[in-house]
Amino acid sequence: MTPRQFETRYEPSWVELERGLAALDGGRRARRTPAGPGSPPGAARVAQLYRQCCEHLALARERAYPPHLVDRLEALTARAHQRIYRRRDFGLGALRDLALYDAPAAVRALGWHLGVVALVFLLPIVLMGAATWVDPHFVLTVVDAQQVRQFDGMYGPEAGEHLGRTSGDDWQMFGFYIMHNVGISFQCFAAGLMLGIGSLVMVGYNGLLFGAIAGFLVTRGDSERFFSFVVTHSAFELTAIVLSGAAGLKLGHAVLAPGRLTRTQALMGAARETSPVVACFFAMLVIAAALEAFWSSAGWVAPGVKYAVGGTCWALVLAYLGLQGRGHVQGDGAR
Amino acid sequence: MTLDTTLLAETPEGIAIVLRPAGAVARSLAYAIDFVARFVAWSIAAAFLGGFKGVGVGIMLVVLFALEWLYPIVFELLPGAATPGKRALGLQVMMDTGLPVTPSAAVTRNLLRVADFMPVAYAFGLLAMLLRQDFKRLGDIVAGTLVVHADKVRLAGALPQAEPLAPRVPLTRPQQVAILHLAGRARRLTADRVDELATLAEDALPPADFAPGGANPAPIRPGPRLLAVAQWLMGRR
Repeated sequence: MTPRQFETRYEPSWVELERGLAALDGGRRARRTPAGPGSPPGAARVAQLYRQCCEHLALARERAYPPHLVDRLEALTARAHQRIYRRRDFGLGALRDLALYDAPAAVRALGWHLGVVALVFLLPIVLMGAATWVDPHFVLTVVDAQQVRQFDGMYGPEAGEHLGRTSGDDWQMFGFYIMHNVGISFQCFAAGLMLGIGSLVMVGYNGLLFGAIAGFLVTRGDSERFFSFVVTHSAFELTAIVLSGAAGLKLGHAVLAPGRLTRTQALMGAARETSPVVACFFAMLVIAAALEAFWSSAGWVAPGVKYAVGGTCWALVLAYLGLQGRGHVQGDGAR
Repeated sequence: MTLDTTLLAETPEGIAIVLRPAGAVARSLAYAIDFVARFVAWSIAAAFLGGFKGVGVGIMLVVLFALEWLYPIVFELLPGAATPGKRALGLQVMMDTGLPVTPSAAVTRNLLRVADFMPVAYAFGLLAMLLRQDFKRLGDIVAGTLVVHADKVRLAGALPQAEPLAPRVPLTRPQQVAILHLAGRARRLTADRVDELATLAEDALPPADFAPGGANPAPIRPGPRLLAVAQWLMGRR
């Protein structure tokens, strides 16, 4: 068959496929007009034409037909391929699945990475807290004197109506917490690519900082103001930091010990498995920022109430991560 | 090792789709344009919101966060799969299978910009791009994505019209391919250059004084004779 015969014989089917694709690309309105249930008419035909077109492309390449013919078929198949294999499984349903099943399951699947990062976070808190409790000057090893004075102003007796800040109102602080805290967590996660060391260093450093300040404020006698401030939002914020670090560590571990995969494959697999965790800690940090800005700082709420609410939040967060979605079986979940 | 930077992505139908990964220069330019666009957006937001005290500052900071982290993710998930900077340079983000980018891949590749940024000024990202044949930065490697030139380079167009002439001798497959490719590119070349190149195929072309029915014809130059043979190969007899 000569190229000309080939072209004249099959061109109608290419044109039809082009028209079908244009209709599919036409947007939701074009697709909604045929009122038939399920897939719109033409979709099955498009798939059939696409397979035919693939065949034609293979033939044209094999028979070394002129380049403009091959180019046209290549462009057409590439476009149809994009359209036909497009993943449509995201939207509200996928978001619901993510919140109810995938995210907690992915967090539990982190396994020992979670334990290691929690330890790297909690140990400095305990050690540094104890050290500053024994000798308050220890706080100066991680923060400078000016910052210490600032913290003193935030939680000291003169803190006033708004705890945990030197100035600014609730909305301003909400914006600050979003930008600052979420940024830190994203960095904790991404730093994991450096063989996991980056995540561990960042999580450990944040632990040191938190421990030093907590220990210092306790020795100053501000423990009630401080702990009633942090108890509620820390349920989300500290958990999120540990989650981001653990997800990062998992990435680093995949690079370091890829097992029977290539390093790239192992890394891609780890990224796929941890992406629900990223969504999870992002949501938790937004909740934490809102709580920290509007609830934790409210000086008029009695500490007892805050402890009760904070305790409930801790229980809910841990129960969600530990129990939610257990026993739910999914075909191709992120496990 | 080939000099070509094209990649082949195989579809389930067994067809190889040709992808053209975008290199460090195009992507850096796209980044610069995006940077300016984000700066302008931020300046406008700041000018509007600066007047309101607390709430305004709060929203400003949220806007700053969104421009830093969500801007590329949102644009890459919209149709076109490119930030304004990438769009301006004709780039597009896709999975390295040639499929549209998935939400989780878009999130992963953009969060891992932090790793690409280390230690300064995207040094790791640039290094990864320069070392790899597919120009992926670290985020792209992990997410399995690829930044490609959306438009295809077309060197050859439709063949110019000519009266078909049979070649002097039967042609092998590679010879046919060479003649068809040159004929396809004839429109982009000067007539003299086509003649020059066609002289290389003189042995296969019909003789210069060949004319279907006329007596005592003027000699035909090699270029038009090659185009005539190309038409013959296309199937016009």
